[in-house]
Amino acid sequence: MAVLRPAGEFDTSYASDMATIRQRWQWWLLLAFVVALYALPFYASQSVVALVNRIGITIIAVQGLNLLTGYTGQISLGQASFMTAGGYISALLVNNLGWPFFAAMPAAALGAGIVGLLFGLPSLRVKGFYLTMATLAAQFIIPWFTRNAFPKVLNGAQGINVQVPVLFGIEFNTPQRYIYLTLTVLILTTIVAHNISRSRLGRAFVAVRDHDLAAELLGINLFKYKLQAFFLAAVYAGIAGSLAAHQIRHINSETFNLIDSVMFMGMLVIGGLGSNLGPIFGAIVVEMLIEGATLFGPLFISLFPSTAAGAVQALRPLFFGAALMLFLIFEPRGLAHRWQLFKAAWRLRPFSY
Amino acid sequence: MNWQLLPQFAMTGLLAGGPLALTALGLVLIFKSSYIFNFAQGQLLLLGALITWWFAVELNLPLWLAIVFALVISALMGLLIERLALRPMTGQPLLSIILMTLGLSQVLQGLALLVFGGTQRNFPQIFSAANPYKITMPFVYNDNNIVIILKQNLVWSFVVAVLGVVIISLFFRFTRTGLAMRGTSEDHELAQSIGIRIHRIFGFSWALAGVVATLGGVLLATSSGLDLSLSVVVLAAFPVVLLGGLESIPGTIVGGLIIGLSQGLVSVSKVPIVRNMSEIMPYVVLLIVLIFRPEGLFGQKRIERI
Amino acid sequence: MRKSLFALLTMLMVASMILVACKPAAPPPTEAPPEPTAPPAEEPTAEPPSGPPDLTGETITLYHFGDLSGPYAAITAPLIHGAEDAVKALNEAGGIYGATVEIKFADDGGNVDEAIAAYDRFTSEDDNPLIMISYGSGEAEALAGRFAEDKIVNITAGLSAKAFYGEGSGYTFGLGPIYPDQLAYTMDFLSENWDTYKPAEAGDEIKLAYISWPTAFGQGALTDESRAYLADLGIEIVSEDTYDVSPTADTTTAILNAQAAGANVIWTNTLAFGPAAILNDLNALGLRDQFVVASDNWAMDLATYAFLADPAYGVGLITPFPYLWWTDTDNAGVQYTQQLFDANERSAAEHNVGYMLLVTGVDMAARAITHAIDTVGYENLNGEAVHDALIDMSPFEPLDGVMKADYSDGSRSPHMSQIRMIQGGPDAFVVIQDWTEIPDLRPSK
Repeated sequence: MAVLRPAGEFDTSYASDMATIRQRWQWWLLLAFVVALYALPFYASQSVVALVNRIGITIIAVQGLNLLTGYTGQISLGQASFMTAGGYISALLVNNLGWPFFAAMPAAALGAGIVGLLFGLPSLRVKGFYLTMATLAAQFIIPWFTRNAFPKVLNGAQGINVQVPVLFGIEFNTPQRYIYLTLTVLILTTIVAHNISRSRLGRAFVAVRDHDLAAELLGINLFKYKLQAFFLAAVYAGIAGSLAAHQIRHINSETFNLIDSVMFMGMLVIGGLGSNLGPIFGAIVVEMLIEGATLFGPLFISLFPSTAAGAVQALRPLFFGAALMLFLIFEPRGLAHRWQLFKAAWRLRPFSY
Repeated sequence: MNWQLLPQFAMTGLLAGGPLALTALGLVLIFKSSYIFNFAQGQLLLLGALITWWFAVELNLPLWLAIVFALVISALMGLLIERLALRPMTGQPLLSIILMTLGLSQVLQGLALLVFGGTQRNFPQIFSAANPYKITMPFVYNDNNIVIILKQNLVWSFVVAVLGVVIISLFFRFTRTGLAMRGTSEDHELAQSIGIRIHRIFGFSWALAGVVATLGGVLLATSSGLDLSLSVVVLAAFPVVLLGGLESIPGTIVGGLIIGLSQGLVSVSKVPIVRNMSEIMPYVVLLIVLIFRPEGLFGQKRIERI
Repeated sequence: MRKSLFALLTMLMVASMILVACKPAAPPPTEAPPEPTAPPAEEPTAEPPSGPPDLTGETITLYHFGDLSGPYAAITAPLIHGAEDAVKALNEAGGIYGATVEIKFADDGGNVDEAIAAYDRFTSEDDNPLIMISYGSGEAEALAGRFAEDKIVNITAGLSAKAFYGEGSGYTFGLGPIYPDQLAYTMDFLSENWDTYKPAEAGDEIKLAYISWPTAFGQGALTDESRAYLADLGIEIVSEDTYDVSPTADTTTAILNAQAAGANVIWTNTLAFGPAAILNDLNALGLRDQFVVASDNWAMDLATYAFLADPAYGVGLITPFPYLWWTDTDNAGVQYTQQLFDANERSAAEHNVGYMLLVTGVDMAARAITHAIDTVGYENLNGEAVHDALIDMSPFEPLDGVMKADYSDGSRSPHMSQIRMIQGGPDAFVVIQDWTEIPDLRPSK
């Protein structure tokens, strides 16, 4: 699906029609792309590697949100709070119980998932912005919990320092090393998300999104599927939170905040809701925009002297918000839709119909 | 529990509910007419206060004149936002509209930082900061009558806020435009068919929301200074709106009082963790409301059909 | 299809493992940070280069990141200007042995993850960064491990004990005493002079209310060590409350709770609008005369006055003061800072601690680098050499005694301070205890 196909290539079986990758050359292309990503530390500078690392972690969080919002249609402003939950769980397991990171991350994913279930419970009774408000509550209550509960363990608002993941004696303590973790996990989460969307579960999600009452009449258990969507979204957030916490090596209640949750929603819309490419496109575009703001910031300082060096921080929300608004007005289905149109045009070339 | 503090905190909590209600009113105004939940209301509030500050301090105008100018500008800003950002979204799904206002909030926040800078400012005082009102209560604790101390700006902000809400309710009940707005909120197509220009109504409600936001911003800024984080007060106002009911103007007052009171009551506890709950009380109350009475206290229950 | 997918995945995993294992560029994991006591002993054996080197045409870059647009923006704008002006003056005076000094800023908005992004950017631009100046306890704590691993000196104004002495740290140096030390020092002073400073109706015992921000900075003074120290002094902490990091924060609840708990001293580990909020509310509630208000060194600053409803509300605030103030005009360093300030026509609002301290910080950095060049030569100049230089120079007085630094004996924060009290309008920061050694409450690891 994701790869361009020239005109004249047709599927000859259902298996081939359903396949994600249909041609041998597409395999090679994919492999080359992945190898190029993995070899990044050998030819790119540290800041580029760190940026790709950040984008990778963000994509995972947005993929989870895509399952919940893109496929199931439940708007959530709490994704970052589930990252907080995942990050703390993983950090505590590693720091206090001595678990290896590779056992702590799945546990953190599960733990975050359960927290996600809790905050998904109101979806039984409410939807639309009422539900958005319930997820917004998660964005306040979870960080509050980390600040106030169990001060001896969670260390209050100061947060905790997180250990670096170690595997076979190798410390993942630089962006150049960490990126291998991020990329490997990202590939796994992408495959899982893609397969969920093609399964019975994914189709049920779409039915709930398109018309929940109609879906219920068709025998789809609304509550069950909504909760599953909340669970999966939080699991993804937990994975992303765990990865991010061990990369930053520190977590507190502010590490993942409301603005991040808003950003994730924005990325999803810019990338394309309900498409597996959406999170990838969205996260890349928005992170690049933010990086652009960091680079262009100094230029603006001369224009707006009152901001002094703060211009960078001002440009970030400005760029992001403006991009989001423009996309909503002119391309509400996101970049993934544009990509579909482009592929279709390529496939029909030289005829435009 | 520090029982001797109960009357004090109940009272401060209730009074703090006033500005919350005023902030919530801005949200309800827009929702009532156009079915848009405006996540950028906090930024409107912030910009209103910043513009007032600019006229009053940078240009050295008298405060009342600065407020008048700021009210006019914020009304225009509301109109402009409706025309440029929300009009193209007519008929779009809920998600898009929510995200539109979220995007708008980011743009406005960035603009505020870019134009005004991030420094905190001293806002002109409207009410005296010293000389609090002291009320002696008829209860006795440890042989002393309990005395409630209330800051002047807390009391007067409450009065102004409640006055604002009452005026807006009366406007909705008795003026032609107000009635047209109520009509629009019932059914857009029906309203259009009887000759109400609903786009004008949308624009008007945004302008009104801008005015209300500026008023709220000025009240909050005058009590303790002004900086960009002022916009987050609206986060405590969301639960107020849901508690009162999304369509109900008097509901904002009741919601504001209940949320303020709940914040005050947990502060009475001797246990620090319970006391610290006051910052999340709006959302705890919100979750309870969502589970037991999703339409809020005074909201309309909607029945959906396929 | 499925089989090949798994084959591919396995291959990728193996490939990534191999790649990680082979990756040569990353520095080897450090063992314990170098024992700071050792280098001074070894240092003298290094052969000093003959005569001062001529480094004309070279550039030495200082890095600086922190919150320039978030909650601390009021403090940080003057800070930046102080650093810029100091670097300009340094270059006009010939730089460091002719080498031009430049300073680069990054704004992290007060977020730890953005601070790390800035750190990654700086370290990839420059493969031999020497010194990064920062402030913000959260940033200092989170980055302490990286600084020690990459051997980059961090001169910071975020005075959290954890950043300086926590596990894996060792390259973090303070521009002031750590907050637990400050709290202990002030309480020591108050308990000795309680009869002079106590509120009229207060008893003989000091009852402390800790009312602060719920952040790493705000909670920084309360450690196991400082609690034990206060207990030894017979001071009870009767209430602990927090309020928002915002000028619009309401501290009424916290104050009334402190009053109900019988407190007579309030400590707030905050700056600018933090102490201002408490002083404003104390006055608004008519309770100012019932409490001694004390705070960390940043609280006594011009920035606080921007938030006081009435400048008179500041009177009586007591804080440690580990540097000199603009009014100490008999000091050459203060005179120099004032000259820079006038020459660059800075606004009156910037006549504050940020400007003063960054001029001092740049002087400290320049002296450390000079000392490192003297010791190991320019070609061997790196973060480790600067780290050793700071220890080797100790005790020393940056900017002619504006500050008294001593990083010897494993200490990475200064241990000398005055105590001052606001008596009168802005700038009337009166010394009530002259330079004294302060308690050392660095955590045992």
